[in-house]
Amino acid sequence: MASALVTAEHLSRVFDDRVAVHDVSLTVNAGEIVCLLGPNGAGKTTTMRMLAGLILPSAGRIAINHIDISESTAGAARGSVGLLTEAPGLWERLSVRTNLLTYSRLHGLRDSERRVDETLAHVDLLDRAKDAAGTLSKGLKQRVAIARALLHQPPVLLLDEPTSGLDPASARHVRDLILDLRSEGRAILVSTHNLGEAQELADRIGVLKTQLLALDTPAALRKERAGTHVVIECEGSETPITKAINSLSDIPAIVAAFVGEGKRIVRVTPTERSLEDVYLDLVGDER
Amino acid sequence: MSFAWHRVTALARKDALELIRNPGAIYPAVMMVFGALFPAFLVIVVTPRVLGKTFEESGEFAEEAAKAAEMIPELAGLSGNALVQTFLFHQFSLLLLLVPIVSSMALATHAVIGEKQAKSLEPLLATPISTLELLAAKTLTPFLFALGLTWGVVILYLAGAFVFAEPGVARAVAGPRLFLMFGLLGPMVEFASLLVSVIVSSRASDPRSAQQLGGLLILPLTAVFVAQLTGVVLIGPAALVVTSLGLAVLNALLIWVGVKVFQRESILTRWR
Repeated sequence: MASALVTAEHLSRVFDDRVAVHDVSLTVNAGEIVCLLGPNGAGKTTTMRMLAGLILPSAGRIAINHIDISESTAGAARGSVGLLTEAPGLWERLSVRTNLLTYSRLHGLRDSERRVDETLAHVDLLDRAKDAAGTLSKGLKQRVAIARALLHQPPVLLLDEPTSGLDPASARHVRDLILDLRSEGRAILVSTHNLGEAQELADRIGVLKTQLLALDTPAALRKERAGTHVVIECEGSETPITKAINSLSDIPAIVAAFVGEGKRIVRVTPTERSLEDVYLDLVGDER
Repeated sequence: MSFAWHRVTALARKDALELIRNPGAIYPAVMMVFGALFPAFLVIVVTPRVLGKTFEESGEFAEEAAKAAEMIPELAGLSGNALVQTFLFHQFSLLLLLVPIVSSMALATHAVIGEKQAKSLEPLLATPISTLELLAAKTLTPFLFALGLTWGVVILYLAGAFVFAEPGVARAVAGPRLFLMFGLLGPMVEFASLLVSVIVSSRASDPRSAQQLGGLLILPLTAVFVAQLTGVVLIGPAALVVTSLGLAVLNALLIWVGVKVFQRESILTRWR
């Protein structure tokens, strides 16, 4: 059985009278990437912060690496989490190495220097260790921020918009890095707006809009909603006929009805919907 | 709430390194050194030389100095020009308290608002650091730096008195009153200024606006200085001890407020 390193049960968070997150339940297993999709203000960052032990939920339960998070255990739980915040948040006047050494000391790591070197090598930045963080490109800063999240070798990684604002090559590099981290057996939760990225990275995708509207594999999410329409092409008819259906199992009855009407069916195509269609269906198109 | 010095020193060390690389943060503190020293030497050394008359000859401040000699033991035994000069050095020493106030304010606002501007608070809070440790770290570097600067200014002040004033003046200035002022009152004033700056910085997005609010602390000190120079009040050793105790109580209250402001959740959701 898969080992859940992140468990959230009926998580809710209210700020004053505003409900930011309502009744969210999810798990992330070791060696699994779960992507959280959702529009701005959907509660992704609040969910991440709760899972990172930064803020406590108004209701519900969180366990990180089998530690139930409460006021007294949040510190220990944070030691099991590597959090990549949306902005890299580096101290730009200081060198990359000093940035990481400070975090290494904050985590109370032994042999900080060696740990920093190893981590920099992991993200392929050892040659930039002496450079001031402010002189790095956005993509390199993001890699330093990932290194910072990895310093204490946490089993759980929470990555908030890891490729936001990066050029395609840098984004590719970061995505490859995330896939490597999964292969090391870490549980990874990624918050993103990028549907393509979610599809590429995720073992499962959660769609969040205050509540968790769906949580499944990308294929299952598409398939579940793929049967919404079926396109039927008949001999002698130039225009294909589109019929709404509830599921794929409706198709034989529709075909039978067409045949019963004496039509000769050339092709039956369940519409293959994109993840974007599914996402917009779930959260609503708010243009 | 946990408290580990290694985390406090790790962050304070980082703040010190950032400070060294940020002349904009140090500039107001260094300027204040000159601002605090200049009036004393202008009045006590330069003006009599320009006018060509010593205080003894002009009779300026003679009455106030004689009155002060009854309250400040260091003035006893002095007479003439040396008495007035010592009296004035004592009076102007109050201005040196601007150094710990202004420098701690300048450095603390940069230490807190710098984290906000760099968006580094959230990753910092994701470490096991407790909010009390964060508050301690954010005050430690500015406190030590401002204290060092203050004591450096006091040494310069005494050196100036030794070089430019009558013989015996520097020794009379370096008495218990000065020790109380910069060994006890100075650190208390500095700590209050530091805590006010840190608290104000939590609500400000720019170091200058935080410093303007924190700058209100200078007003009571300036009022006391003027009142003292005009002979309305005279701050003796007893008054310094009582004021320091009052500030200790104020500082305890400010620490309590600071801990409330430095809650993880407040920092992430309420700080602007």
